[in-house]
Amino acid sequence: MRFMVIVKATRDTEAGILPTTEEFAAMGRFNEELVKAGMMEAGEGLHPTAKGARIDFSGGETRVARGPFDLSVDLAAGFWMIKARSLDEVIEHMKRAPFPSGQIEIRQVYAPEDFGETFTPELRERVERLRAQAARG
Amino acid sequence: MRFMMLMIPLGYESAPPDVQLDPERVAAMMRYNEALKDAGVLITLEGLHPPSMGARVSFAGGKPVVTDGPFAEAKEVLGGYWMIEVASRNEAIAWAKQCPASENEIIEIRQVQEMADFSEEVQQAAAGFSELPHAGRA
Repeated sequence: MRFMVIVKATRDTEAGILPTTEEFAAMGRFNEELVKAGMMEAGEGLHPTAKGARIDFSGGETRVARGPFDLSVDLAAGFWMIKARSLDEVIEHMKRAPFPSGQIEIRQVYAPEDFGETFTPELRERVERLRAQAARG
Repeated sequence: MRFMMLMIPLGYESAPPDVQLDPERVAAMMRYNEALKDAGVLITLEGLHPPSMGARVSFAGGKPVVTDGPFAEAKEVLGGYWMIEVASRNEAIAWAKQCPASENEIIEIRQVQEMADFSEEVQQAAAGFSELPHAGRA
């Protein structure tokens, strides 16, 4: 099973305040543990929403809004992609993440077998080909 | 520059665990994904199960507190994402506008941080660690 761990934005991340060297090193050690446990596929940080945009698709038209966006909706500041046997295993590892405050959200990633008959063998093959080609980039 | 296109389907915050997909929408989205790939901008993409199957871990007060989904306080949640490599934010916006999204969906575009965005001191602190995996560069 694969999981996405979403790190929630805070006033600090939205203000573009970067981690201190110590915080960065602590997160580096935590990531190393995830790598050694064979759980880490990817991890990225995101620039504040002030440098981003939102596109609304209501009414068949697209409306573009430039950031920053309100923290009252859940904004992301970064994420991990994690391989694990269960949600509980991810929770146990992520409880040890070196965050002094804040919140993370853990969500299971769809695999082709989750879609049932909707996802025909032809569609599945197309997705697998797409992934392989994108990964080779 | 790398950008994430975060797909936010309104209402997904209260979706049941066994949510069903519309085959026609899946096919339309696949055509869009292939267009991204053919243009050489697609790095990776994923879809997420509803939050009713997930969990949140809060670190307020320095102690982790686990809450099982669905999350009553959530106004919107992530349904999936694309990671793309383009020359500018405007190019990312132009790609997002072409997505065959439905009326209740929003795409948020966010730039991904690179090592060069951090101070020299932080870069040196990170240099001690082995090369960590990155989406599409693993």
